[in-house]
Amino acid sequence: MVGMLNRRSLLAASGIGLLAAGLPGRPFAAERKLKIALSNSYIGNKWRIEMENLFKAALQMEPYKSQVEGSWFNSGNDVSQQSQQISGLIGERVDAIIVNAASPTGLNGILHQATERGILVVSFDNVVTAPTAIKVDTDQFQFGKKLADFLVEKLNGKGNVIMVTGVAGTFVDKERNAGADSVWKQHPGIKVVNRYTGMWDSSVAERNTAAILPSLPKIDGIWCQGGTDGVLKAFIAAKRTPLPPTAGEAENGFRKFMTGYMSQKVDGLSIGQPPYLVLVSLELARRILQKSHPRKDITIPFPFVTNSTVKVGETVFPNLPDSFFADFTDSGADATVKICVDAALTGKACEGKLDVRLPSQA
Amino acid sequence: MPPDAAATLAARPQRRPRAAHVLGQNIGLVLAAAILLASAVVFTLMFVIQQQRLPGSFEITSTVNNTMPLAVAAIGQTVVVLTRGIDLSVGGVIDLTNALAAIFLAGSPLHMIVVSILVVLVGAGAGLVNGLLVGLGRLQPIVVTLATLSIFQGLAIRVLPQPGGSVPAGYTNLLVNPDAPTALIFLAVAILGWMALRRSRLGVELFAVGNDEAAAVALGVNALRTKIVAYSIAGALYAVAGLFLAANATSGDATTGNSYTLTSIVAVVLGGVSLFGGRGSAIGAICGAFITTMIVNILFYAHINPLYQAFYEGLFLVVAVVLGSLIGNLLRRRG
Amino acid sequence: MSLAERAEGDPAATIAARELSKAFGGVQALRSASFAARRGEVHALVGENGAGKSTLIKILGGRLHADSGNVLLDGNAVRLGGPADAARRGIGTVFQELTLLPWMSVAENLLIGREPRSALGLIRRNALAGEAEAVLAGLGIHHIDPRALASEVSLAERQIVEVARVIVRQPRILLLDEPTSSLVEREVEWLFARIRELRARGTAIVFTSHRWNEITSVADRITIFRNGAEVGTFDAIDEDEAVTLMTGRRVEALYPPLPPVPSPAAPALQLEEAGVGDGGTVSLSVAAGEILGVGGLAGQGHRELFLGLFGAPPLARATIRIGGEPIVITCPADAIHAGLGIALVPEDRKTEGLLLPLSVRTNLTLPILAQLSRLGVIRGGAEARMSREIIDSLGIRTPNAAQPVGALSGGNQQKVLIGRWLLAQSRILLLYDVTRGVDIATKHEVYELMMRLARQGRAILFYSSDTEELTHLCHRVLVLSRGRIVAEFAPPALTAEAVVAAAIREPHAA
Repeated sequence: MVGMLNRRSLLAASGIGLLAAGLPGRPFAAERKLKIALSNSYIGNKWRIEMENLFKAALQMEPYKSQVEGSWFNSGNDVSQQSQQISGLIGERVDAIIVNAASPTGLNGILHQATERGILVVSFDNVVTAPTAIKVDTDQFQFGKKLADFLVEKLNGKGNVIMVTGVAGTFVDKERNAGADSVWKQHPGIKVVNRYTGMWDSSVAERNTAAILPSLPKIDGIWCQGGTDGVLKAFIAAKRTPLPPTAGEAENGFRKFMTGYMSQKVDGLSIGQPPYLVLVSLELARRILQKSHPRKDITIPFPFVTNSTVKVGETVFPNLPDSFFADFTDSGADATVKICVDAALTGKACEGKLDVRLPSQA
Repeated sequence: MPPDAAATLAARPQRRPRAAHVLGQNIGLVLAAAILLASAVVFTLMFVIQQQRLPGSFEITSTVNNTMPLAVAAIGQTVVVLTRGIDLSVGGVIDLTNALAAIFLAGSPLHMIVVSILVVLVGAGAGLVNGLLVGLGRLQPIVVTLATLSIFQGLAIRVLPQPGGSVPAGYTNLLVNPDAPTALIFLAVAILGWMALRRSRLGVELFAVGNDEAAAVALGVNALRTKIVAYSIAGALYAVAGLFLAANATSGDATTGNSYTLTSIVAVVLGGVSLFGGRGSAIGAICGAFITTMIVNILFYAHINPLYQAFYEGLFLVVAVVLGSLIGNLLRRRG
Repeated sequence: MSLAERAEGDPAATIAARELSKAFGGVQALRSASFAARRGEVHALVGENGAGKSTLIKILGGRLHADSGNVLLDGNAVRLGGPADAARRGIGTVFQELTLLPWMSVAENLLIGREPRSALGLIRRNALAGEAEAVLAGLGIHHIDPRALASEVSLAERQIVEVARVIVRQPRILLLDEPTSSLVEREVEWLFARIRELRARGTAIVFTSHRWNEITSVADRITIFRNGAEVGTFDAIDEDEAVTLMTGRRVEALYPPLPPVPSPAAPALQLEEAGVGDGGTVSLSVAAGEILGVGGLAGQGHRELFLGLFGAPPLARATIRIGGEPIVITCPADAIHAGLGIALVPEDRKTEGLLLPLSVRTNLTLPILAQLSRLGVIRGGAEARMSREIIDSLGIRTPNAAQPVGALSGGNQQKVLIGRWLLAQSRILLLYDVTRGVDIATKHEVYELMMRLARQGRAILFYSSDTEELTHLCHRVLVLSRGRIVAEFAPPALTAEAVVAAAIREPHAA
């Protein structure tokens, strides 16, 4: 991390006088390191912070430690600012830019210029539509479908279900809802008695659920895109216990309920949009640049846990806040990536090597 | 009482030199230009230190192209602020016009010209709504434009529910040529337009209304008409900003304009335009727009911890504004 | 002195008002008022504050519309669409509230609407100052820099520019609402010279003023207003009679007798070496029970002196003693604590000192809120009682103590300004132009009040733009010029002529 250290010293010097720092010595390693930069937009929620921490941790772990010189930038949800930062990265002549975009289309112009100049662009999470950018994502339709399948199975195809949706107007929200609706259509016994937004936020989900619950009949199942722990807390407050089977996101709080929390235990399925998408993107960038992987979009499977697979200390953390995203790491034998909790919390390196398994080519 | 003589009032022993007046009355613009120059120098030095070369055509071009939407929007905001108003609907108008541009810009050059003109007219219409509400309704500009901001944002989502659409490459090359900073030509045109406005009757009326509306009315200025025209011109300029944004992104997104509400005000303030109306220059606001881009550039090369980037941006703004007003006061007291 | 025929019957009238009425909210400003001015005459419009003079001028100038009645130009009823329309018909108006645009240059203000233009129709901004300079010089004005912002020049200069802007458009009818209120003698002379020139060219000139000697020196006819209607028009009338007609009652001698300064005189306020501008310093001393006048031309450091004593902002390098003890005043709170009170009527009357939307009571008790409060809560009963006492003893005419100060007439607002320092038991009062723009009857009340305060042993430092006032109301008068005391007068040498002569003597000429 010589590169990073130089930057830190420059930052420190910038307080006194940017120019006093002089020319920082650039490391001339025998093999040139790959310069890979993360351009993130918004950094105001836990998911993004965990994501960025994972990136920082990975840069201090092998194989990245010796092969990659990394840097990271946030722009807020301001497209022109992110665009300007990417211009800077192009000027720095990085080898690859990993982008979590402020707009799916707003960066297309500058990203096109990046790829024209031979820079690899990998976009993840909020992916861009620029055709030259490589996309790393999950299948959001499958997300919604899988949650719905779980409830159908638990309720034996019959019962009242609520749907707590996400931020309206986004692609992700639309796809997830469509995935769920495709299941409901085949199981007319399932009745969606209400559908309202939780804004992917636990407190909003709790507030909206509390407001709507009194008007609802007995609920047999909960389908929730995000803010699942908030929904369950609203159920407890309204004395709608025991809690019905719940299919929801990867909030630590939800998973606590699955292992027993607030004297309730929920039969649940927890799926997440994993923050380790950034690690998959990093690995993909490294492999493409080293020509050991074709330039191709990849879709990774969702990490998910059920009551039978959830494991304290690995996929649920009783000592961490409810709002922590417990899917920073995958689990199980076919895990995409396994990384320690400290990496997600503080951005510190974990023991050993980091092994990111890209999906096998079909 | 003395007899009916042609009494005259004698000259003062000394007058301030002409240059002192020019400096004192354009202090906002001068400071904005100075801050822009200083930040450009800092950026260049940092760039040279880290890249071992001077910023080249790519850096200059991308800086210009990225700033164009804000620079144009800031001119519009200036026109409104000069009348002692403020326009928060910038973001909504840019969203709407950006969405329209992404959908309809296609086909022959003639078709694209027609679409561009229509989009600008939509922007002017949005501004007209603001102007009518502020002028005829005698409502506070901040309330009116906060409401219309949401309305225009809503319309934009209606027009383009999902980010998409595409802008033909030729259009992009014309407005924001990625290979050379030709967009500066448009900026030069805008500055010429501003100078003509400043020297027109409308320009005088804009300044007069912002100075003291009651006095302007007593002087025969139609304040209502002036405000309506001001908001309409501003709306048209936001639409132009929306076109530049679409050209830059090569595609549309009905939410990317949102940040321009705040940044256009920041640019206007950095540009030395008084939020109390009646004082300022669009040229200053353009400088302000470029300063904000330079701040992003400088923070980029300073490799500030991303978590604290917003903090440093805010700090820079506060320091710039406080410094500006201190120097302004100092000069006035000297004068 | 003869009562003229009813105005609307005047066949020679260039501009006339026929039975105009105008109400603002519940207040009837004009009640079927009529008035006529002829070509080539100077017609003075006099009356107390609130008599309707300004409303009449605003209607004639196209700025307001009458509720009923007509404006006649050359005998024909017209409807004035606004100030611009009035200007097109040859009516030029200098309104009482100045209409200069503060952040535009004197030149831009002077030439607004008639700027020099290029072949393309664009304003030649570079030529503005030169043209303005020429226009001003043509009117005998050489002391105003056309490149300065309107907010950078003094109020008197602004008023002159305002007049110049109207005159240069060569109106047939010139309406001037209190054009001399901020001018000193020399500038008034300049204005009257211009008025006489215009009269010779046939312009009809209507002006209002509270200064009787000005009226008699320039007016051909005088129309007296009372209570929103004309009382009569006169070729000549003596002051006592006019005052009686304006007020509806007789006023005894305008200036009350001065009480003697108690002896030996105990210095209440001493000021040494205070810098108030132009590099000069001021030293002075006021005794308890003494009224010390400060005279001179406007803009010579008076304001800086008064505000500086009050710590807003503090005086440079000054030593201040109160009752012989040196004290430091760095902000108004220090000054209030030291027993100073200030009644400063700003040049534009409305921007300093009073919180116009708040009640008379709040405005009176503001400086003593700390004393009136218990644990941060204002004792409403005490506040009401104390403000009632002041309202009664000063004769502040207000329906009740809850009335917003902004709704009171100018004179009564000024009384509130003084009254608050009586409540604060200030021993030293700084009275700055407290009679500006106040009608004669109220002026008289303020004078009486000053005498009462002096008799109570308070020290008063008094500035007035009316030199006549200073000579009658002060035990001594200092003349301030370019930040220095250039003369001191006490009776019998204390005359208006002597003060003016000292004020205009050019110190730099020597």
